Amino acid sequence: MSLTALIRERRSIRKFNDVPVSQGLVFELLEQAERLYDHAEKVSLRYIYAGTPDSRNRLVDYMMEPMTASRLGKLIPDKMLGIFKKRFVDIPAHVIVIAETAPDRRRSDQNYADVCSIIQNFQLLGWERRLGMLWDTESIIQNEIFFKRIGIGEGERFVGILHIGYFDKTPKGRARTLAEKKWTVFQG
Amino acid sequence: MPLSDFIMDSNTPVSVHNYPVSQQLVLELLNHAVWAPNDGLREPWRFIYVDDQSGNTMLGLQESAPAHLIMVMKEDSDHHKRDEDFAAVCCLIQNFQLLAREKKLGVRRTMPEWIYDRERTRPFGVQEKERIVAILDLGAVEQTPTAASAATLPEPKFELL
Repeated sequence: MSLTALIRERRSIRKFNDVPVSQGLVFELLEQAERLYDHAEKVSLRYIYAGTPDSRNRLVDYMMEPMTASRLGKLIPDKMLGIFKKRFVDIPAHVIVIAETAPDRRRSDQNYADVCSIIQNFQLLGWERRLGMLWDTESIIQNEIFFKRIGIGEGERFVGILHIGYFDKTPKGRARTLAEKKWTVFQG
Repeated sequence: MPLSDFIMDSNTPVSVHNYPVSQQLVLELLNHAVWAPNDGLREPWRFIYVDDQSGNTMLGLQESAPAHLIMVMKEDSDHHKRDEDFAAVCCLIQNFQLLAREKKLGVRRTMPEWIYDRERTRPFGVQEKERIVAILDLGAVEQTPTAASAATLPEPKFELL
């Protein structure tokens, strides 16, 4: 696949099949993703992986805790919570991505930008191997309870969870606005 | 060529003066790069192109380069959306850098202090509800001996939940 096709044809995947994902492959692709990124300064990030049924269960419980703990959440029927839980537990692999922050805003932004770029590399490298992903940043999980459970410390920030698996159907792409329409030439 | 083969092929791009950068090529690459994932298809980006062959336009702000591309992002009032939008622009930039590497267009991605200074960004047309994510210095790629740095990178920090 050409690089252009890879970039244009990659899709976010929300529906995975049950083909197992190898932890070794995920690690290898993360390593490649970091190497593929040209960076002047050291990028400070870490990953937490959930790929066994037990760890996936725990992860999804953590994701749902803010929901079930809230007063509103208590009104959600158990059946619906069950469906939500199953949907995520059934996904073969999850990578939580955590970036370091810095007291200096510019440096914090720089590290966050580096981490986001590495994730994009990872998504592209995965797509090349037919691995689909969803970069999940839903506000419902962006919550102190969840952050505490997964062990986000002082001086760190949550970047997202990548839900990872193989898939049967490729979603259609949604057309992008032409770059020409978002283009200005600066006339000094 | 699979993307993973790009890794050892990585050059340090060095922008050289008097090297004409084609706006058409930049637009062509951007039209591929905009296939970056972005939440809700908000496409929170726009681009300001600065031709700087004279070397005066960004004097004192950027290292000299034949052209600069200012990557501008819309600033949503919701901080959570703002973070997502920032991430989306970073993905777009990463796509652009990969594509440029293939076309031997040198890209130096910078996030200097001045992009946080409204007094300095306003003259380029950056609005109140916008911010600059990065400035890309564009030019020729200077071939350098294969980077040894790739081999010395530490392993990813990977823990199990």
